[in-house]
Amino acid sequence: MDKMIYSILSIKKNPGKLNDLLLGIKGISGGNLYLVSADDITALVSNIKGKDLIANRSNAIEYAGVIETLAQQFTLLPVRFGSVMESNDAIKKMLERNYNEIQHNLMYIENKVEFGLKVFCDSEKIKAELKAKKEYGPIIEVTLGNGNSIYRDYLNKKIEEHRVEELLLSHIDKIIKGIIANLVQLNPIHKFKKMTTTTNIIDAVFLLEKDKKDNLVNAIKGFQNQYTDLHFVLTGPWPPYSFVDITLK
Amino acid sequence: MQDNVIDRSKDITILELLDRVLNKGVILTGDIVISVADIDLVYLGVKLMLSSVETMEQLRSGQSKAE
Repeated sequence: MDKMIYSILSIKKNPGKLNDLLLGIKGISGGNLYLVSADDITALVSNIKGKDLIANRSNAIEYAGVIETLAQQFTLLPVRFGSVMESNDAIKKMLERNYNEIQHNLMYIENKVEFGLKVFCDSEKIKAELKAKKEYGPIIEVTLGNGNSIYRDYLNKKIEEHRVEELLLSHIDKIIKGIIANLVQLNPIHKFKKMTTTTNIIDAVFLLEKDKKDNLVNAIKGFQNQYTDLHFVLTGPWPPYSFVDITLK
Repeated sequence: MQDNVIDRSKDITILELLDRVLNKGVILTGDIVISVADIDLVYLGVKLMLSSVETMEQLRSGQSKAE
Protein backbone atom coordinates (compact mmCIF):
# COMPACT_ATOMS: atom_id res chain seq x y z
CA MET A 1 0.00 0.00 0.00
CA ASP A 2 1.45 3.37 -1.05
CA LYS A 3 1.38 6.51 1.09
CA MET A 4 -0.10 9.77 -0.15
CA ILE A 5 1.35 12.84 1.60
CA TYR A 6 -0.94 15.86 1.98
CA SER A 7 0.99 18.28 4.14
CA ILE A 8 3.74 18.70 6.68
CA LEU A 9 3.17 20.45 9.98
CA SER A 10 4.48 20.92 13.48
CA ILE A 11 2.97 18.94 16.33
CA LYS A 12 4.42 21.14 19.05
CA LYS A 13 1.11 22.89 19.53
CA ASN A 14 -2.01 21.02 20.42
CA PRO A 15 -1.30 17.48 19.14
CA GLY A 16 -4.50 16.28 20.80
CA LYS A 17 -6.58 18.70 18.75
CA LEU A 18 -4.86 17.52 15.57
CA ASN A 19 -5.69 13.89 16.29
CA ASP A 20 -9.29 14.77 17.06
CA LEU A 21 -9.58 16.72 13.83
CA LEU A 22 -8.24 13.82 11.79
CA LEU A 23 -10.98 11.54 13.07
CA GLY A 24 -13.51 13.64 11.19
CA ILE A 25 -11.70 13.85 7.84
CA LYS A 26 -11.07 11.25 5.16
CA GLY A 27 -8.34 11.19 2.57
CA ILE A 28 -8.59 10.37 -1.12
CA SER A 29 -10.91 7.43 -1.82
CA GLY A 30 -12.07 7.52 1.79
CA GLY A 31 -8.71 6.48 3.20
CA ASN A 32 -8.06 7.13 6.89
CA LEU A 33 -5.66 9.96 7.60
CA TYR A 34 -2.81 9.45 10.02
CA LEU A 35 0.46 11.07 11.03
CA VAL A 36 4.04 9.98 10.38
CA SER A 37 6.31 11.94 12.70
CA ALA A 38 9.96 12.74 13.16
CA ASP A 39 10.62 14.61 16.37
CA ASP A 40 8.14 17.54 16.41
CA ILE A 41 7.29 17.60 12.72
CA THR A 42 4.79 15.33 11.10
CA ALA A 43 3.45 14.40 7.69
CA LEU A 44 -0.25 13.94 7.10
CA VAL A 45 -0.68 10.72 5.18
CA SER A 46 -3.26 8.26 3.93
CA ASN A 47 -2.86 4.82 2.41
CA ILE A 48 -3.70 4.63 -1.24
CA LYS A 49 -3.99 1.79 -3.71
CA GLY A 50 -2.39 1.93 -7.12
CA LYS A 51 -5.74 2.02 -8.88
CA ASP A 52 -6.76 5.10 -6.89
CA LEU A 53 -3.71 7.05 -8.04
CA ILE A 54 -5.59 8.95 -10.69
CA ALA A 55 -4.69 12.55 -11.31
CA ASN A 56 -8.16 13.79 -12.06
CA ARG A 57 -10.04 16.87 -11.03
CA SER A 58 -12.16 15.29 -8.29
CA ASN A 59 -9.14 13.69 -6.58
CA ALA A 60 -7.25 16.97 -6.73
CA ILE A 61 -10.18 18.83 -5.18
CA GLU A 62 -10.56 16.14 -2.50
CA TYR A 63 -6.85 16.39 -1.77
CA ALA A 64 -7.01 20.18 -1.49
CA GLY A 65 -10.04 19.86 0.80
CA VAL A 66 -8.01 17.87 3.34
CA ILE A 67 -5.26 20.51 3.33
CA GLU A 68 -7.79 23.34 3.55
CA THR A 69 -9.56 21.80 6.57
CA LEU A 70 -6.33 21.39 8.49
CA ALA A 71 -4.98 24.79 7.47
CA GLN A 72 -7.91 26.45 9.20
CA GLN A 73 -6.55 25.20 12.52
CA PHE A 74 -2.82 24.67 12.00
CA THR A 75 0.17 26.19 10.24
CA LEU A 76 1.18 23.72 7.57
CA LEU A 77 3.25 23.24 4.44
CA PRO A 78 0.93 22.05 1.68
CA VAL A 79 2.51 19.29 -0.40
CA ARG A 80 1.95 19.24 -4.15
CA PHE A 81 -0.66 16.77 -5.36
CA GLY A 82 0.84 13.49 -6.53
CA SER A 83 3.44 13.04 -3.80
CA VAL A 84 3.38 9.37 -2.92
CA MET A 85 6.02 7.39 -1.06
CA GLU A 86 6.36 3.67 -0.61
CA SER A 87 6.38 3.37 3.17
CA ASN A 88 5.97 5.20 6.47
CA ASP A 89 9.64 4.55 7.13
CA ALA A 90 10.61 6.34 3.91
CA ILE A 91 8.46 9.32 4.91
CA LYS A 92 10.02 9.43 8.36
CA LYS A 93 13.52 9.41 6.87
CA MET A 94 12.53 12.18 4.44
CA LEU A 95 11.32 14.31 7.38
CA GLU A 96 14.54 13.67 9.29
CA ARG A 97 16.72 14.54 6.28
CA ASN A 98 14.88 17.82 5.68
CA TYR A 99 14.15 18.72 9.30
CA ASN A 100 15.88 22.13 9.30
CA GLU A 101 14.40 23.29 6.03
CA ILE A 102 10.92 22.20 7.08
CA GLN A 103 11.23 24.03 10.41
CA HIS A 104 12.52 27.14 8.66
CA ASN A 105 9.58 27.17 6.26
CA LEU A 106 7.05 26.49 9.01
CA MET A 107 8.37 29.50 10.91
CA TYR A 108 8.21 31.61 7.74
CA ILE A 109 4.50 30.95 7.21
CA GLU A 110 3.49 30.71 10.89
CA ASN A 111 -0.02 32.03 11.38
CA LYS A 112 -0.18 33.45 7.85
CA VAL A 113 -2.56 32.97 4.94
CA GLU A 114 -2.24 33.45 1.21
CA PHE A 115 -4.42 35.54 -1.08
CA GLY A 116 -4.39 35.64 -4.86
CA LEU A 117 -5.07 38.83 -6.79
CA LYS A 118 -5.67 38.96 -10.51
CA VAL A 119 -6.17 42.26 -12.29
CA PHE A 120 -7.87 42.24 -15.66
CA CYS A 121 -8.31 44.96 -18.22
CA ASP A 122 -8.62 45.53 -21.92
CA SER A 123 -4.92 46.11 -22.55
CA GLU A 124 -5.56 46.93 -26.22
CA LYS A 125 -7.87 49.75 -25.14
CA ILE A 126 -5.26 51.09 -22.72
CA LYS A 127 -2.61 50.85 -25.43
CA ALA A 128 -4.84 52.77 -27.81
CA GLU A 129 -5.29 55.47 -25.18
CA LEU A 130 -1.55 55.64 -24.53
CA LYS A 131 -0.92 55.79 -28.24
CA ALA A 132 -3.45 58.59 -28.67
CA LYS A 133 -1.77 60.59 -25.92
CA LYS A 134 1.60 60.14 -27.67
CA GLU A 135 3.20 59.97 -24.23
CA TYR A 136 6.14 58.13 -25.69
CA GLY A 137 7.34 61.34 -27.35
CA PRO A 138 8.32 61.81 -30.94
CA ILE A 139 9.49 58.76 -32.79
CA ILE A 140 12.77 59.10 -34.56
CA GLU A 141 11.81 57.67 -37.87
CA VAL A 142 13.96 55.09 -39.52
CA THR A 143 15.23 55.98 -42.93
CA LEU A 144 16.84 53.38 -45.10
CA GLY A 145 19.04 54.31 -47.97
CA ASN A 146 17.36 57.14 -49.82
CA GLY A 147 14.38 57.05 -47.45
CA ASN A 148 12.04 55.45 -49.90
CA SER A 149 12.49 51.92 -48.69
CA ILE A 150 9.38 49.79 -48.70
CA TYR A 151 10.48 48.59 -45.24
CA ARG A 152 10.56 52.06 -43.67
CA ASP A 153 6.85 52.25 -42.73
CA TYR A 154 6.92 48.74 -41.37
CA LEU A 155 9.95 49.47 -39.19
CA ASN A 156 8.51 52.74 -37.91
CA LYS A 157 5.24 51.00 -37.07
CA LYS A 158 7.16 48.34 -35.15
CA ILE A 159 9.12 50.96 -33.22
CA GLU A 160 5.90 52.70 -32.28
CA GLU A 161 4.34 49.41 -31.14
CA HIS A 162 7.40 48.73 -29.02
CA ARG A 163 7.19 52.16 -27.40
CA VAL A 164 3.48 51.69 -26.64
CA GLU A 165 4.26 48.26 -25.17
CA GLU A 166 6.87 49.85 -22.93
CA LEU A 167 4.36 52.50 -21.86
CA LEU A 168 1.84 49.81 -20.99
CA LEU A 169 4.40 47.98 -18.83
CA SER A 170 5.32 51.25 -17.18
CA HIS A 171 1.60 51.91 -16.55
CA ILE A 172 1.29 48.45 -14.94
CA ASP A 173 4.39 49.14 -12.83
CA LYS A 174 2.73 52.28 -11.52
CA ILE A 175 -0.37 50.31 -10.56
CA ILE A 176 1.78 47.70 -8.79
CA LYS A 177 3.70 50.41 -6.93
CA GLY A 178 0.36 51.96 -5.91
CA ILE A 179 -0.87 48.60 -4.62
CA ILE A 180 2.35 47.96 -2.67
CA ALA A 181 2.35 51.48 -1.21
CA ASN A 182 -1.24 51.12 -0.06
CA LEU A 183 -0.59 47.74 1.53
CA VAL A 184 2.56 48.81 3.35
CA GLN A 185 0.83 48.86 6.74
CA LEU A 186 -0.27 45.26 6.29
CA ASN A 187 3.32 44.34 5.45
CA PRO A 188 2.45 41.38 3.24
CA ILE A 189 5.06 39.29 1.49
CA HIS A 190 4.17 39.58 -2.17
CA LYS A 191 4.98 38.23 -5.61
CA PHE A 192 3.86 39.96 -8.78
CA LYS A 193 3.76 38.78 -12.38
CA LYS A 194 2.93 41.13 -15.23
CA MET A 195 0.99 40.46 -18.43
CA THR A 196 0.35 36.75 -18.00
CA THR A 197 -2.17 37.18 -20.82
CA THR A 198 -3.26 40.19 -22.82
CA THR A 199 -6.13 40.75 -20.38
CA ASN A 200 -4.58 39.54 -17.12
CA ILE A 201 -2.17 42.39 -16.55
CA ILE A 202 -1.29 41.54 -12.95
CA ASP A 203 -1.16 38.15 -11.24
CA ALA A 204 -0.13 38.56 -7.62
CA VAL A 205 -0.02 36.51 -4.43
CA PHE A 206 0.19 37.87 -0.91
CA LEU A 207 1.16 36.20 2.34
CA LEU A 208 -0.03 38.01 5.42
CA GLU A 209 -1.05 37.40 9.01
CA LYS A 210 -4.45 35.81 9.44
CA ASP A 211 -5.86 38.65 11.49
CA LYS A 212 -5.09 41.18 8.72
CA LYS A 213 -7.18 39.53 6.04
CA ASP A 214 -10.13 41.93 6.43
CA ASN A 215 -7.77 44.85 5.96
CA LEU A 216 -6.55 43.34 2.70
CA VAL A 217 -10.09 42.82 1.48
CA ASN A 218 -10.93 46.46 2.23
CA ALA A 219 -7.75 47.67 0.56
CA ILE A 220 -8.60 45.76 -2.64
CA LYS A 221 -12.08 47.28 -2.60
CA GLY A 222 -10.36 50.65 -2.43
CA PHE A 223 -8.19 49.82 -5.45
CA GLN A 224 -11.27 48.78 -7.39
CA ASN A 225 -12.86 52.15 -6.70
CA GLN A 226 -9.65 53.93 -7.63
CA TYR A 227 -9.04 52.07 -10.90
CA THR A 228 -12.50 51.83 -12.42
CA ASP A 229 -11.20 50.60 -15.79
CA LEU A 230 -9.61 47.55 -14.18
CA HIS A 231 -11.26 44.45 -12.76
CA PHE A 232 -9.80 43.09 -9.52
CA VAL A 233 -10.34 39.44 -8.60
CA LEU A 234 -9.25 38.48 -5.10
CA THR A 235 -9.33 34.87 -3.93
CA GLY A 236 -8.47 33.39 -0.57
CA PRO A 237 -7.60 32.84 2.14
CA TRP A 238 -5.56 29.89 0.91
CA PRO A 239 -3.02 27.70 2.65
CA PRO A 240 0.37 29.17 1.69
CA TYR A 241 0.89 27.14 -1.50
CA SER A 242 2.76 29.90 -3.33
CA PHE A 243 5.21 30.58 -0.52
CA VAL A 244 6.56 27.12 0.18
CA ASP A 245 8.26 26.47 -3.11
CA ILE A 246 10.79 24.11 -1.58
CA THR A 247 12.06 20.79 -2.78
CA LEU A 248 12.57 18.00 -0.27
CA LYS A 249 14.98 15.17 -0.97
CA MET B 1 -18.62 46.84 -9.46
CA GLN B 2 -17.81 46.89 -5.76
CA ASP B 3 -19.77 43.71 -5.07
CA ASN B 4 -17.46 41.91 -7.46
CA VAL B 5 -14.23 42.95 -5.83
CA ILE B 6 -14.09 39.78 -3.78
CA ASP B 7 -14.91 37.26 -6.39
CA ARG B 8 -15.59 33.92 -4.77
CA SER B 9 -17.46 32.51 -7.73
CA LYS B 10 -17.24 28.76 -7.90
CA ASP B 11 -15.41 28.60 -11.22
CA ILE B 12 -12.61 30.94 -10.31
CA THR B 13 -12.18 29.42 -6.88
CA ILE B 14 -11.90 25.89 -8.26
CA LEU B 15 -9.47 26.94 -10.96
CA GLU B 16 -7.33 28.83 -8.50
CA LEU B 17 -7.46 25.86 -6.15
CA LEU B 18 -6.44 23.38 -8.84
CA ASP B 19 -3.66 25.66 -10.00
CA ARG B 20 -2.27 25.68 -6.49
CA VAL B 21 -2.66 22.02 -5.66
CA LEU B 22 -1.15 20.88 -8.98
CA ASN B 23 1.53 23.49 -9.53
CA LYS B 24 2.55 24.81 -6.13
CA GLY B 25 3.41 23.63 -2.66
CA VAL B 26 6.23 21.50 -1.34
CA ILE B 27 7.84 19.28 -3.95
CA LEU B 28 9.31 15.89 -3.13
CA THR B 29 12.03 15.04 -5.60
CA GLY B 30 11.39 12.37 -8.17
CA ASP B 31 13.81 9.81 -6.86
CA ILE B 32 11.99 9.43 -3.54
CA VAL B 33 8.48 9.75 -4.86
CA ILE B 34 6.53 7.07 -6.64
CA SER B 35 5.37 8.49 -9.91
CA VAL B 36 1.67 9.19 -10.12
CA ALA B 37 0.80 9.13 -13.77
CA ASP B 38 3.19 11.93 -14.66
CA ILE B 39 1.80 12.31 -18.13
CA ASP B 40 -1.72 12.68 -16.82
CA LEU B 41 -0.58 15.30 -14.32
CA VAL B 42 1.13 17.33 -17.00
CA TYR B 43 -1.84 16.94 -19.31
CA LEU B 44 -4.25 17.92 -16.54
CA GLY B 45 -2.05 20.88 -15.63
CA VAL B 46 -1.98 22.20 -19.17
CA LYS B 47 -5.67 21.61 -19.61
CA LEU B 48 -6.47 23.44 -16.40
CA MET B 49 -4.20 26.30 -17.27
CA LEU B 50 -5.92 26.78 -20.61
CA SER B 51 -9.29 26.37 -19.01
CA SER B 52 -8.34 28.83 -16.28
CA VAL B 53 -7.30 31.54 -18.69
CA GLU B 54 -10.31 31.04 -20.93
CA THR B 55 -12.76 31.00 -18.06
CA MET B 56 -11.31 34.07 -16.45
CA GLU B 57 -11.31 35.95 -19.71
CA GLN B 58 -14.89 34.90 -20.32
CA LEU B 59 -15.86 35.99 -16.84
CA ARG B 60 -14.09 39.28 -17.35
CA SER B 61 -15.71 39.77 -20.70
CA GLY B 62 -19.12 38.99 -19.21
CA GLN B 63 -18.37 41.45 -16.47
CA SER B 64 -17.59 44.22 -18.94
CA LYS B 65 -20.75 43.53 -20.92
CA ALA B 66 -22.84 43.60 -17.75
CA GLU B 67 -21.39 46.98 -16.90
